Amino acid sequence: MERITRREMLRATALGAAALYLDRLGAAAWGGAEPDAYASARINWRQLAGERIHILVTPAHYFTKFRSITPEFTRLTGIEVTFEVIPPREMREKAVLDLGARTGNYASHTADPMYLPLYAANNWVEPLDLFLNDDKLTDRKWFDLEDIIPLWRRANTVRGRLWGMPVEGEVTIHIYRRDVYERLGLRPPETLEELRENARRAHSPAQNLFGLALRGFRGPGQNMYIWPSLFRAFGGQWFDHAGRPTVNSEAGVRSLEWYVSVLREFAPKGVENWNWPEIMEAFAAGTLVQYIDANSTASVIENPAKSKVAGQVGYRRWPKGPAGKRVTSIWNWAMPINAALPARKKQATWLYIQWLASRPTQIRSATFKETPDAVVRTGVNRVSIWRDPGYRRVIAFTPDYADVVLTSLREDTDPDWRPRIPEWPEIGEVMAIAVQEALVGRKTPKQALDDANAELRRILRR
Amino acid sequence: MNGRPSPTALADEVAERARPGGIPFARLAGGRWRLNGEERFGLLLVGPSLLLLLLVSAMPLGLLLGTSLFRVELTKPWATGFVGLGNYLQMLEDARFWHSLGVTVLYTGTTVVLQTVLGLAFALALAEEMRGRNLLRTVVLLPMILTPVVVGLVWRTLLLTPRYGLLDYIAQLVGVGSHSWLGDPALALGAVIVMHTWQWTPFAFLVFSASLAALPVEPFEAAKLEPVTAWQRLRYITLPLLRPAIVTVVVVRTIVALRAFDAIFAATGGGPGTATEILNLYAYRVAFNNLNLGYGAALASTLLLATAAMTVGFGRVRAVVEEPR
Repeated sequence: MERITRREMLRATALGAAALYLDRLGAAAWGGAEPDAYASARINWRQLAGERIHILVTPAHYFTKFRSITPEFTRLTGIEVTFEVIPPREMREKAVLDLGARTGNYASHTADPMYLPLYAANNWVEPLDLFLNDDKLTDRKWFDLEDIIPLWRRANTVRGRLWGMPVEGEVTIHIYRRDVYERLGLRPPETLEELRENARRAHSPAQNLFGLALRGFRGPGQNMYIWPSLFRAFGGQWFDHAGRPTVNSEAGVRSLEWYVSVLREFAPKGVENWNWPEIMEAFAAGTLVQYIDANSTASVIENPAKSKVAGQVGYRRWPKGPAGKRVTSIWNWAMPINAALPARKKQATWLYIQWLASRPTQIRSATFKETPDAVVRTGVNRVSIWRDPGYRRVIAFTPDYADVVLTSLREDTDPDWRPRIPEWPEIGEVMAIAVQEALVGRKTPKQALDDANAELRRILRR
Repeated sequence: MNGRPSPTALADEVAERARPGGIPFARLAGGRWRLNGEERFGLLLVGPSLLLLLLVSAMPLGLLLGTSLFRVELTKPWATGFVGLGNYLQMLEDARFWHSLGVTVLYTGTTVVLQTVLGLAFALALAEEMRGRNLLRTVVLLPMILTPVVVGLVWRTLLLTPRYGLLDYIAQLVGVGSHSWLGDPALALGAVIVMHTWQWTPFAFLVFSASLAALPVEPFEAAKLEPVTAWQRLRYITLPLLRPAIVTVVVVRTIVALRAFDAIFAATGGGPGTATEILNLYAYRVAFNNLNLGYGAALASTLLLATAAMTVGFGRVRAVVEEPR
């Protein structure tokens, strides 16, 4: 009797989730094209008609949406845009080689903000204020730069100038199973210690349900996308006043000990090789109580066709660390302008970037269906859109999802989350190895960070 | 012998022509190179491919060696300059370099021995006529057809994943227990060695099978008249006759194993930590992740020189081994 009741309840939950999902599809009526949205900009969109630009992007769904609506840009401006689509790591290598050799193959690409200090140091890209302040090319009032998420703009600013335009982004948040929390009477954690305690209480490997997972795979964009938040939340500082690295401070060691101990105790075996897709899949398969990762994973784990736990998910900001602050990741896809281009191509590229980052295009692309089962964008670049009731309805996975993301974006950020210096690629690599070595027990957290700190000193002195 | 010149005779002639004072390819006359008609035509024929070869092979090679003498760090553009052998000297103090060199030697040595032994064993087992031999041969050859990247991903996701992977499941069944095969520093190197061996043993098998089929039958027939055991037949007849094939397999597999990259890259990325970071992978990271092109070029040049030295060395050994035949 009890079993039937429970099964019925589950079915009802699933139906409810499906209904909510369909409702959201219905809400996709929001975000249609407004033909005169661009005409109100007081610039001549056709001033560079006939130019052609070539752009390097990753295969992510939001770039597919951008690419799909780009013919509208060509109709508006007469500028032809072609794309090369390759996965992020290869994309970055190609972009750096193109910039370094000054071949000017790619007018722009979807850059990692952590690389902008490197680009700027080499003068590989143009500062965007050159174009923003040109009345012929930009209607500042229409474009409304200030509306673009301030944190992302700050992440893309080096020496006071903006080097890449945020067109899409994300934050990391705490994502958990509401049903499991309710069953066990747990409250969403306010601090990292409460998170550990919740993981301990919900961890039941015998039932194939694990307490917590975080990225374990080594890499500047893998484990070094998560551990820096812990490092800062524990009060860690990357450098002292003289600019010497201090990752092996007591706060640093404690943050790594926390990371290592929770993953060893509560994560599934093999987590040291897990990046976000593995975490998301495990959660969608119902084998994980919670994780902390990008808010964008919501569009998959809330899709009943791809996830067993759709409709049972809760979202919260990062728990606070011992230093009393929550620290989320800073990530956006930044579009720079290649300095090796001829002047007219640079201007044409700017028109495209301006169009892509503008409010109407961001709205139009948010719900664009490049395929019948396409997901909604959860990383639009403008505060005003995040506040727009239409958009909030579209991404209402839970009533507070949009607020959790927006608040994280506005309050839980820390400009020194990761060191924004040209040497970041190498530093990120050294730290990624140290964090993974501690995780798999090759070194103690203290030993790993001592070694990494010495290595960082060597890199910076060289 | 048929009437055609043997390959050796041709090679001798080429060598003779190349020797200073030998038959000249082109005669020096009046201070100018003059080619006769046939030679000119020959040059015309090989010219385009020679040019292409220079362009795609010799030039990048020269560029690599050249770059290794400079400091080129994209993260420190102001510090670019000639450093002579500085990058190579830096290697001497670079613990990660020595570590990766050690991993490379261990990886190459182990996997080559395993491939040779297993390949030989399979070839001997399948040398006799028996039912299903062709099917078995096909099955043995299959792994070689796959792209190394695919092998790395398949092993990582389908075979070795704790709790879900096929091999992990078998390990649980036989009582070894579930392990993070690619995540445990004590197991990861072993796992990638097994992976490489699995993929490339078919090559050794192929060479040994062909050699076995081509062995002269007389020694074996003679052995039948004597009271010899199967082991003695293997030890004193088959193996000595297979010696050239064994040397070939060892040489080719060593060179390929030294260059390994894709499968490890896909399976572990060199991790956990640096447990499976072979020299090739380290050079790649230095150049393309750390953007230290000069030092990366020096690392790659070192690997290149080591491989070249190995090839020359093996060539000598092979010449000696094949002599008594």
